[in-house]
Amino acid sequence: MSTKQDALEHLRVIRSLMEKAHIYRAISAPAAGLGGVLAIAAAGLTGWQMMQKGGLPEREGDTFLWQWLVILAVTGVVNVILLAREAARRGQPLVSDGMRMALKAILPPLLVGGVLGVGLIVHLDNHVMAVLVWVVCYGLALLATASFSPRSLVRLGWVFTLLGLVLFWAWAANGDIRMMPHDEGPAALIMGLTFGLCHLAYAGAVFLSRKPEAVTARE
Amino acid sequence: MIDFDQLDKTIHEKSRLSIMTLLSTRGEWAFQDLKAELGMSDGNLITHLRTLGTAGYVQESRDDSGTRPRTTYAVTPAGTKAFKSYVDVLEAIVKAMNPG
Repeated sequence: MSTKQDALEHLRVIRSLMEKAHIYRAISAPAAGLGGVLAIAAAGLTGWQMMQKGGLPEREGDTFLWQWLVILAVTGVVNVILLAREAARRGQPLVSDGMRMALKAILPPLLVGGVLGVGLIVHLDNHVMAVLVWVVCYGLALLATASFSPRSLVRLGWVFTLLGLVLFWAWAANGDIRMMPHDEGPAALIMGLTFGLCHLAYAGAVFLSRKPEAVTARE
Repeated sequence: MIDFDQLDKTIHEKSRLSIMTLLSTRGEWAFQDLKAELGMSDGNLITHLRTLGTAGYVQESRDDSGTRPRTTYAVTPAGTKAFKSYVDVLEAIVKAMNPG
């Protein structure tokens, strides 16, 4: 083997192993923290209204859906900005191999969860079932990145998936909740518990366990 | 002209190159994870890790606090510098032999 071929072969080995060992964090911890705070604030507002009225908050039509879509949009934009800043700091493009890998993995479950959830709210007026679909599909999306995500994100995926299944079981077994005149209150509380508290716990865990940075792969 | 003697012989061996690449990319690996990723036997992996350790490129850490002792490996600052230099030399070789 010539020296050039030898060098190329070694570079190929390095590149291939770096891709296999690459870790990509699709969700920035500060963005998760912000999403958590907004979700808890929204759920807290519903809880406060329930306490004031001594029962369910007033039915608000499409407000529930728009409220959570706005929170999703704000958190999503902040997440992209933070990922872009992190990529720039490392001298890498925002749409890196890692991001492409992450998008390929998370899009199918997020698309299914999004369409089913919105459909359940808009056409069937079933908010609890919709948020449970969001929770489980979001958990599955995170688990789909398990081969290249940091452990904290995989754990978050398991928490969302299992919590979604447990809450579904509890909801399905509880006729009192299903027979309520409307279910926006319990749905908001589930959102606060999952997207609120779980994201805050995730952000806190990431900040506490931050380690020195490893050498990054060359583009 | 490239001086091929600049290639670090400790890293140039393919198994050690693989170990250095994984450790440089992810920061820290447990022995079992390295073994599974590289498909090497215990003895072979230990031998190469010792060679890299003797050169000062890799550092071993042992955690006996759990039910099972866990040994992890990480690249030292000297190892990071040597690995970067090694890749630079490889790239220079390829560029020199393929100008333009």
